[in-house]
Amino acid sequence: MTKNPMKPVAEETEGGVTRRTMLSWLSGFGLLGSLIIAALANFVFIKPRATYGQPNRFSIGKPEEFPSGARISLDTRRVCIVRDGDKVAAISTTCTHLGCIVGVSETGFACPCHGSRFDQDGNVTGGPAPRPLQWYQVSLAPNGELEVDKDNEIEVGTYLKV
Amino acid sequence: MSTQTTIRPRKGLLALPENIWHSVFRNPLPSSDLGRASTSFTNFFLHIHPVKVHRHSLKATYTFGLGLIASFLFLILTVTGVLLMFYYVPSTTQAYDRMLDLRGTVAFGIFLRNMHRWAAHAMVAVVFLHMCRVFLTGAYKPPREFNWVLGILLLLVTFFLSFTGYLLPWDQLAFWAITVGTSIAGYAPVVGREVRFLLLGDSTVGQEALLRFYVLHCAVLPIVLTLLATIHFWRIRKDGGLARPAEEDAVSGDTSQAGEVAIVSAPTVVMATSAGAAAAARPLVEKRQYGIQGLVRGPLTKVGSLTDRFRFSWPDLFQAELLVFVITVAAILVVSLFFNAPLEEPVNVMHPPNPAKAPWYFLGLQEMVSYSAFWGGVGIPTIEVLILLLVPYLDRKQVGVGKWFARERLLANSLFMTFAVVNVVLIVIGTFFRGANWEFVSPW
Repeated sequence: MTKNPMKPVAEETEGGVTRRTMLSWLSGFGLLGSLIIAALANFVFIKPRATYGQPNRFSIGKPEEFPSGARISLDTRRVCIVRDGDKVAAISTTCTHLGCIVGVSETGFACPCHGSRFDQDGNVTGGPAPRPLQWYQVSLAPNGELEVDKDNEIEVGTYLKV
Repeated sequence: MSTQTTIRPRKGLLALPENIWHSVFRNPLPSSDLGRASTSFTNFFLHIHPVKVHRHSLKATYTFGLGLIASFLFLILTVTGVLLMFYYVPSTTQAYDRMLDLRGTVAFGIFLRNMHRWAAHAMVAVVFLHMCRVFLTGAYKPPREFNWVLGILLLLVTFFLSFTGYLLPWDQLAFWAITVGTSIAGYAPVVGREVRFLLLGDSTVGQEALLRFYVLHCAVLPIVLTLLATIHFWRIRKDGGLARPAEEDAVSGDTSQAGEVAIVSAPTVVMATSAGAAAAARPLVEKRQYGIQGLVRGPLTKVGSLTDRFRFSWPDLFQAELLVFVITVAAILVVSLFFNAPLEEPVNVMHPPNPAKAPWYFLGLQEMVSYSAFWGGVGIPTIEVLILLLVPYLDRKQVGVGKWFARERLLANSLFMTFAVVNVVLIVIGTFFRGANWEFVSPW
């Protein structure tokens, strides 16, 4: 009777793994590993290293351009500049629910997409929004202009004195 | 054998055209059962079908041809989509102008866009109805569990295809629907933000997102859908055709059948039949040689005069399929003649339309999202999909297979109908009862 070439014979494997089994495992791991690495490489590839959108740090002009009591929504920048006396703040107008632009309303902010409502400080007063609107850091640049940094979130109610 | 089933080349130069023709089409138009069998068997496009199909599978009121309609709609979408690609540019500065060009200057441009849009809407609806049909007839039960899973994946790919296509006109509707849709993805735990960033290629919807959606819509997803659909079709054959009640395979009052099978040794056409019949087949054992026929699970089907419940695919099945095809194309053509695909104002990233609504089939989702972004947009849909995927592995009892609203399946069918109706009601609310700021309005 001829031996089945694909089947390792029992007596040869006693107390260990045959060379054939070992090599099968290794090549299996190698192939599977290559496959996983290739798949991951695709994700690395499609994740852009540079984006072409707007800068997150930008100048909004001199403090005098915002009179006391002003609530000016800069829609292209997606922030609302709030001035109260000598205090200035920048509140995000991107709804924390699903990214629509909230409009300035009498009581604060209102989102047109799913009906979220916020008070003057951006705290949620109604609708599905899970978090208050973000506040961004405002600073006075050396040239005397106000600068908003959207990468720098600050606590709700933190103003810059000017 | 008296009937001619294959044609030998004839001698002489005059026979050249005829010989060329017959080198492509090997069978004359069939006039006998053997010819009918050979015609389906030797033609590349027809051999996807079995030579014979059970009469139960041919009943229009059993399937309503829904799966077939879905695949024909996909065919229409592929053809019109490729044609539209000749004029479309995935650029934020050009895309909208190209939409206007389709209206104004391109021959049949508006008509092709209408066909593409309406066929896409129809495909979402028909794929969903096809799923309902399969569930309500209990057709997902073993051995068809995996084909049901493939079907759910196909439903998801269909959704994703229409979602990616939605952005391409680059109008207000497109921009805000995708802004909302990708934000929902951002709510997924752990990977949400990353997935959103990979989808958009940026932190907001812009040029990168348009290009990515274009590639997904025109290349990646159609290939995925074609691959899955091919396996879906192949599995139908391997699982013994469409599901049908066990009694349809019972040999009733025809005790002579077994004997006759043994007697007739003329060329028989072997085909796999239903699970019920497969049970009758002898189990395969190791260390034995089998011919290809021995590996086919199922009994032999006779080609001769023996009566059985099977009909030849040529012409019964092919006629039916042609009819479904013609009706599908005609319906899309007529709708495209009378109704234009909507096109809103060009994108204005500063002013979302109020209310900003997704396409109708996502309005159920949007309605749920208006209560809770995570649960409505991620949690509940994920649970629904998981349950749908697991259905055939949980409900395995072989009762009520191949029958609409079978009494034995009252509980399963009621649960499914609840699921379907709730989703439809949510869509209706989102479509007709929601106005500015997503507040409840009466459509009357």
